[in-house]
Amino acid sequence: MLRFPKLFTLSLGLLASATFATASLAADTPVKGGKFTYLEQQAHTNLYPPAGGFYPNGGILNQITDKLTYQNPKTLEIEPWLALSWQVNDNATEYTFKLRPGVTFSDGTPLDAAAVAKNFDTFGLGNKALKLPVSEVVNNYDRSEVVDPLTVKFYFKKPSPGFLQGTSVIGSGIVSLSTLALPFEQLGDATKIIGSGPFVVKAETIGKSLSLQARSDYNWGPAKLDHQGRAYLDEISYIITSEDSVRIGALLAGQADFIRQIQAYDEAQVEAQGFTIFAPSTRGVNNSIVFRPDNPLVSDLKVRKALSLAVNRDEIISTLFSKNYPKATSVIASTAIGYVPLVDKLQYDPEKAEALLDEAGFKPGADGIREKDGQKLVLTSYESLPQPQSRAVLQLIGQQWAKLGVKLNVLAGDAGSKVVDELDPLKTPVAVAMVGRADPDVVKSQFYPTNRNALVQKGGVSDKVKTFADDKLNSILEEIASQPDREKRLKAVADAQTYLLDQAYSVPIFEEPQAFAGAPYVKGVAFESVGRPSFYSVWLDK
Amino acid sequence: MTLYVFGRIGQALLVLWAAFTLSFVLLQALPGDAVLIKFLSPDFGLSADQINEIRAAYAVDSNIFVQYGRTLFNFLKGDFGYSLQAGVPVSAQLATNMPPTLRLAGLGFAVAVLLAVSIAFLSSMAPFAWLRNLLQSLPSLLISVPVFWLAIMLIQIFSFRLRLVSVINPGPWESLVLPVATLAVPISAPLAQILIRNIDEIRTRPFIAVARAKGASEARLLWKHVARNAILPALTIAGVLFGELVAGAVVTETVFGLNGIGGLTEKAVGNQDLSVLQAIVVISAAAFVAINLAVDLAYPILDPRLRNRAGVER
Repeated sequence: MLRFPKLFTLSLGLLASATFATASLAADTPVKGGKFTYLEQQAHTNLYPPAGGFYPNGGILNQITDKLTYQNPKTLEIEPWLALSWQVNDNATEYTFKLRPGVTFSDGTPLDAAAVAKNFDTFGLGNKALKLPVSEVVNNYDRSEVVDPLTVKFYFKKPSPGFLQGTSVIGSGIVSLSTLALPFEQLGDATKIIGSGPFVVKAETIGKSLSLQARSDYNWGPAKLDHQGRAYLDEISYIITSEDSVRIGALLAGQADFIRQIQAYDEAQVEAQGFTIFAPSTRGVNNSIVFRPDNPLVSDLKVRKALSLAVNRDEIISTLFSKNYPKATSVIASTAIGYVPLVDKLQYDPEKAEALLDEAGFKPGADGIREKDGQKLVLTSYESLPQPQSRAVLQLIGQQWAKLGVKLNVLAGDAGSKVVDELDPLKTPVAVAMVGRADPDVVKSQFYPTNRNALVQKGGVSDKVKTFADDKLNSILEEIASQPDREKRLKAVADAQTYLLDQAYSVPIFEEPQAFAGAPYVKGVAFESVGRPSFYSVWLDK
Repeated sequence: MTLYVFGRIGQALLVLWAAFTLSFVLLQALPGDAVLIKFLSPDFGLSADQINEIRAAYAVDSNIFVQYGRTLFNFLKGDFGYSLQAGVPVSAQLATNMPPTLRLAGLGFAVAVLLAVSIAFLSSMAPFAWLRNLLQSLPSLLISVPVFWLAIMLIQIFSFRLRLVSVINPGPWESLVLPVATLAVPISAPLAQILIRNIDEIRTRPFIAVARAKGASEARLLWKHVARNAILPALTIAGVLFGELVAGAVVTETVFGLNGIGGLTEKAVGNQDLSVLQAIVVISAAAFVAINLAVDLAYPILDPRLRNRAGVER
């Protein structure tokens, strides 16, 4: 009798928190079988697991591959999955994993220590001959060692405290040796991605549809999940439907069960008909705009501070978004690991902003735009297609800045111009930034010069940077990626957030969710820790 | 005549080579390239060295003439290479995307011709003056309907409201009804316009008056005398409309979520997927050339006057 009240409270808690709608109530018993139609906005691209960051890729890889460990999306603790247990040395340079016996890939080959070793050798070092790039989440990788058929050990050149969490992300899905033997340019064919996951790719029409079938012998889901054994669904049909109104219309008309990507302005019509919106947080660096201080227009801290103070987040959220898009209160999301609230550094104060711009020497010119030594304060930014309503957000910020006499040009541009211009701080003094990953390493990924290099520092991919590099910032970021002591590591994450806002390098706007909508009879939907859907426990109550 | 055909085929090959070369040059002139777009994307988070290694592996920075020669040589062998963005061979992409587009375009065109001919003839045969006027102004209306809007309206009304056809997981024929209708409307409009204009013009010619004086009925006049003459210019336009058909397919395929060359082109352009684009350009050029060749060869069959001239001059 104790069981029910507990579950009931748990369900209430889930409903109240409203970030996760895994609302499977105590009374429901999952029904097996059925076909599930999922409408995806974009076709998947290359399915090499480290390329799983792209939303459509993650939505597929999460069903067909398993990971060594499972990051509980509620507690963010690392739990056993393919690895039953693990040991990490004090230095975080040696990781030993004990694997679950009896696991096989869908082609029948065993998922053993040799296969796991080969996966991380590839993800950690890349494969030049096959053109397979290195994974972003595996830092300082040295080599692997197969201790016995079910024990594998990894060695790192430098401490790599993020590696344990790194084994739980979509980009670390374990694939078969036959998949890893293929060159990069053949991995866009989903039928060639052989994993050990609860679903198997049955057929694919490239760019149009994908059909997944449940594996009846699947018996190695995350150890602590209530649901064990095979998936409830028999089949999942992915259909690419790029037009927003068609996806939503098809869902409401009963032609589909679940859709990805629904804009905030469409939420009301979906909820009005009793359908459910799911908006799991991506738990990483918030949707932000960042400055490139190598550009003289934004090299002065006063100018950056002024522009930051002139951004009115409340207006952006109330105009463009909904309750599923919480206002940013730091560089990273409030659900991220190592988050510290820094609301006082994210104020809206247009008067102070004007005063700072005056102080910095930018005076209003004849046309109302501020200028200094003949240089007009005209900034440029590209919209970021994967981010929700990126163009509208930038345009609204542009209006808010215009009141101060600062002009922001928002460009759409083709992919090629965007990539090239984004490397040149003179062409793009402002950019949109955001990464999802539930590990403190995410801050380093976003800002470190040899990673995504959001501020375009010297030492990265760009050869256009003249001088800008912030050694203090970089040393904090290095500390995050290599400090084995958890407390000290979290301290570094806090320092990074404070420093990024004190320097006004970053202007966080909102905590970006991934938005989905589902029919009322779709039960058991879950999301991994950064918002990619998992259909393993989904069942149809109809 | 044979000489004429061979001459035209030679011309066609020249056009194909020019299309290939021009598209190659234009794509090279764009900023960035497919490798940069793919691997610099934040999904990978690669370092400069890692990107340089990949660039070297794909030989994207080698001499432009070497690249041109290599691409051309591979094309002649029938090897279109790999799509860097999608990670599959271009030939596989073409194999999955060509048949649906051909089906859609073929049916769309057939329905468009039917629609155009019906509008044109009804507009000169309909009983009431107001009805004739209405039908005559119909093409102007059809040509100004945006394809995008029409597609969404058709889906909203016929699929989501009336639930007559399914857009998601439709049957093979069900999947074609709405897209074909969407595609046919903008193609039929210019055809109908030209037919109407020609019918009106030819009806005022002296030979029609003669035929009428000989006692031919209105229907016989229209079918036997007017139609044959009115159809020739429409045929020329039909060849040119092929381009419209491909452009219309991009929108139609996107809205209806169909796979096809239109959607493939749109994605390849966005990502500067060189090998995909080159294959599409060459294939579209080939189709264009073939259709126009077919139109040219059809002229003498329809018009005896051209038959003689072709025979004498060539």
